[in-house]
Amino acid sequence: MSSSSTALRELQQDLENKANDLSKLQKDIAKNHQVRKKYTIQLGENELVLKELDLLNEDANVYKLIGPVLVKQDLAEANANVRKRIEYISAELKRLDGSLQDLEEKQHSKREAILKVQQRIQSHQAGKAKA
Amino acid sequence: MASSRGGGSQQVIRSGDMEKMSLDQLKAVKEQADIEVNLLQDSLNNIRTATGRLENASAALHDLSLRPQGKKMLVPLTASLYVPGTLDDADKVLVDIGTGYFVEKTMAEGKDYCERKINLLKSNFDQLIEVASKKKTLADEAGLILQAKLKQSSPSS
Repeated sequence: MSSSSTALRELQQDLENKANDLSKLQKDIAKNHQVRKKYTIQLGENELVLKELDLLNEDANVYKLIGPVLVKQDLAEANANVRKRIEYISAELKRLDGSLQDLEEKQHSKREAILKVQQRIQSHQAGKAKA
Repeated sequence: MASSRGGGSQQVIRSGDMEKMSLDQLKAVKEQADIEVNLLQDSLNNIRTATGRLENASAALHDLSLRPQGKKMLVPLTASLYVPGTLDDADKVLVDIGTGYFVEKTMAEGKDYCERKINLLKSNFDQLIEVASKKKTLADEAGLILQAKLKQSSPSS
């Protein structure tokens, strides 16, 4: 009798651990979405800037705000900087996509594992009731 | 800039499907649709504010173009400190194009920039309104079906 109730307690402990893992996974997924949103907005803004820069003549004056200082920049340099930033943000978004997929798979398998443990607990309790 | 992307995971739910759903599922659908409608309304308001600011900028530009060179003016140094100055060259304007970049443009180009931005925002606004009204109809339908089902399950009240 005592062995089956320790087994039951073990199963319940396992369930609790898995539930904690699941909630951590869900928090990670939510954070991923937040960071993704921020990067997407930045990407959009940078693409707008690039479009504006493309419309300029070669001799137009471009200035960059660095802290409280407005610094004159070369048009080619500004173009290169914005393009590099767009590349970086796109790469980050792709990386986030990959890790999001990974997290969602883990979440799915964690949910299945939890279901299995719950079923084992139920059959255990049913077995104990009969005996 | 307000982006016109919808929510993350969107499912296309037809009204036929909603008839078959249970009460709980219907409630979840309606709540989800209501949240999305609110988000879309917020985005619409943001676009409206941004458009208003751009139109103010455009009006200010137009006013500036009417002023002669050398005109006496008061230049704000802080929110409560102004110093007298003279208007130098009203043909060149500095335009903030985003991410900390400023471009020197002529008055005509500056006005053109404002117009372009306003048109872009207006088209975003129109797109969003379409999406928002579709979501709202979905939310309203879900609400109606939910009420009908509630009445069905408790006829004697």
